[in-house]
Amino acid sequence: MTTIEYRPAPPAVNFGSLTTATGTAPPVARDVTYERILDARSEPQNWLTYYGAYDGQRYSPLDQIDTDSVQRLSLAWVFSFAPQGLHAGQSTYAFENAPIVVDGVMYVSGWDGWVWALDAKTGQLLWQYKHAIPFDTSLCCGNVNRGVAVANGKVFVCTLNAHVLALDATTGACIWDVTSGDVRAGESLTIAPLVVKDRVVVGSSGGEFGVRGHLDAYDAETGERVWRCYTVPKPGEPGSETWPAEGEAWARGGGNCWITGTFDPDTNLLYWGTGNPAPDFDGEVRPGDNLHTDSVIAVDADTGEIRWHYQCTPHDLWDYDSNMECILFEQDGRKLLAHFDKNGYCFVLDRTNGERVRIFPFVDRITWGEITPDGQVTARIYPDKEGEDVHFYPGPAGAKEWTHAAYSQKSGLFYVPVQDTGATVARRRREFKESIPYWGAAVVVDAEDMAGSVSAFDPSTGQEVWRWRNDLPMCASVLATGGDLVFAGTPAGQFVALDARSGDLLWQFNCGSGHHSSPSTYSVDGKQYIAAPVGWGAWVEGFLPGMMGGPHGQAMMVFSLPEGVDSSGGR
Amino acid sequence: MTTVTPDRSEMMRKFGLDRQNVGTLGRLLATGNIAQAEEGTDGHMRAVVRIVPDQLVWDPSILLLSHGGELDIEFVNDDQNTHCALVPSNGDSQWVWLPNYTRGTVHVTLDGPGHYWFSSNIGNDEGRGLIGAIVVMGDVPASARLDRPPQPRP
Repeated sequence: MTTIEYRPAPPAVNFGSLTTATGTAPPVARDVTYERILDARSEPQNWLTYYGAYDGQRYSPLDQIDTDSVQRLSLAWVFSFAPQGLHAGQSTYAFENAPIVVDGVMYVSGWDGWVWALDAKTGQLLWQYKHAIPFDTSLCCGNVNRGVAVANGKVFVCTLNAHVLALDATTGACIWDVTSGDVRAGESLTIAPLVVKDRVVVGSSGGEFGVRGHLDAYDAETGERVWRCYTVPKPGEPGSETWPAEGEAWARGGGNCWITGTFDPDTNLLYWGTGNPAPDFDGEVRPGDNLHTDSVIAVDADTGEIRWHYQCTPHDLWDYDSNMECILFEQDGRKLLAHFDKNGYCFVLDRTNGERVRIFPFVDRITWGEITPDGQVTARIYPDKEGEDVHFYPGPAGAKEWTHAAYSQKSGLFYVPVQDTGATVARRRREFKESIPYWGAAVVVDAEDMAGSVSAFDPSTGQEVWRWRNDLPMCASVLATGGDLVFAGTPAGQFVALDARSGDLLWQFNCGSGHHSSPSTYSVDGKQYIAAPVGWGAWVEGFLPGMMGGPHGQAMMVFSLPEGVDSSGGR
Repeated sequence: MTTVTPDRSEMMRKFGLDRQNVGTLGRLLATGNIAQAEEGTDGHMRAVVRIVPDQLVWDPSILLLSHGGELDIEFVNDDQNTHCALVPSNGDSQWVWLPNYTRGTVHVTLDGPGHYWFSSNIGNDEGRGLIGAIVVMGDVPASARLDRPPQPRP
């Protein structure tokens, strides 16, 4: 018998070292201060925060690419990435990022704990960070992450297993890591953090698992939690009268804050949308309005206290989260906000006090009920009898999903990605069990008879100004620019540029995979770029089951005018 | 060998699902042994994971950790072919070549609770059976739990 002599294997290495990553990024993020983010639009070469600026307008004054030159818009570079090994949401991962750009460096998060720093001019990978995500994390809506925040030399990112991280913006090394939520309870984090002053604000996901939603602020230097704001009150707290006095419906009530909010330094208020109550469709177990679910809440940035709220869908029975953006704008000397809700209505509120200014519908088919201009809500079709199908519009993904509208300071119009899709729902009561989906219904979203558009609205009247129609619902954020353009991605993969004044289609490019993300724009050395994260996936069965078979293809696709394009780099 | 239920183990063997190229072409994932990592007084955990000759399976294929934290895995390739190990870790996955009859150690950091897959990501080692699970047990810190009464679990 021969004795086998075992040898040492070659040393283990970081998997990222086996790429073309250079390992470091220029220290551009070191000088990104709160003051710079406050005045973000004064440096249009950058996209400093999730919406481009605290006001949530998703508008850039950059105008090199305009209604004429857009005809020549070409691909400048592509950063493509694909999974390695098994990961959570093997069939549902998607690229939902909103790229942040600081002085020539792009900071990007992907699905499954990926963060990348890229050269914004060439696409060269500078560094990458990978957080290990448990395969069995509870995810209602896919393996996704919506972006990072950058400030004071750090990149802040949330993970699907409910951690908040601060990374060194020059190397990607982890500086601090705090556990923010309970994965055994079904909590996760998918949100792009918002840096306000010296804090990092994040909201939780998990409303489909019957958690209790919250918004948290962490010290940006240390990771210590400064405050936590629960959106669903405990018994005895303000709003608790809108929940059953007996039982623990409040403790499972949802109201998660899973999309980034906006901020007004004058009011010192964060404007945040809250999610659906749980169970989503079985309201009989939670009689009452169920505050502060499906609401716009104004939260004191220093203390985390709710100063005022406006509930868009009291006692929700349709899964109509109100997480979507609150766009801050001024009109006739009033400080207003506009919120396009899943329920098909836009709410214009006075952002100093929550007073209703205007409500108008923005989608053709609304059958679940009606909201009058004076805010009276009448439910008409809803799942209230066990096992009995009801069909309503909009479906649970809403007339607009989480993906964002834009407001052009140049045209004075809102641009809205619209989904016109219905669904059939039957109430199916179930017991609550921690970490198990808690919908209280059987749900089938329509895969036929659907439509979509980018629609432009006049904020002063609520009148539709133009509509660019698409056969499929529009499921990605739009971007408005000083070049009088509106950019939008379609589920089929087309990235389109529309005339902001007329809605005319001026340019399009087939990206090969659907869009479910937030494009941004920036410039380097005087050259304007448009960055579109491309990669279909996530909760497709909810917002567009007719495209369940669409290709995942994950890539950052960046466009510019063709002159002087430099996509060199790498080893 | 330990499996979750004896009956299931018998069925796996009867239909050749726990071996290479009997019932199916490879062997079903996570059908191998289960073992718990050793824990030092400092909380650092250690385990040895081998590749069984001609079986394309990790032994153990399910590694249990009592909590999240630091883990050293010594991989031993007893097989007559070259493989490798790609293991998730916070910051970056760790990767090591495992030529025939070699030993290599990876150091990883994992959160808990939850489970993670590791694999030999060459050829179709993964499809044939060289995917294993690291199962992290325990709970998140009290500071991360919801302010609510204890809730029923499945």
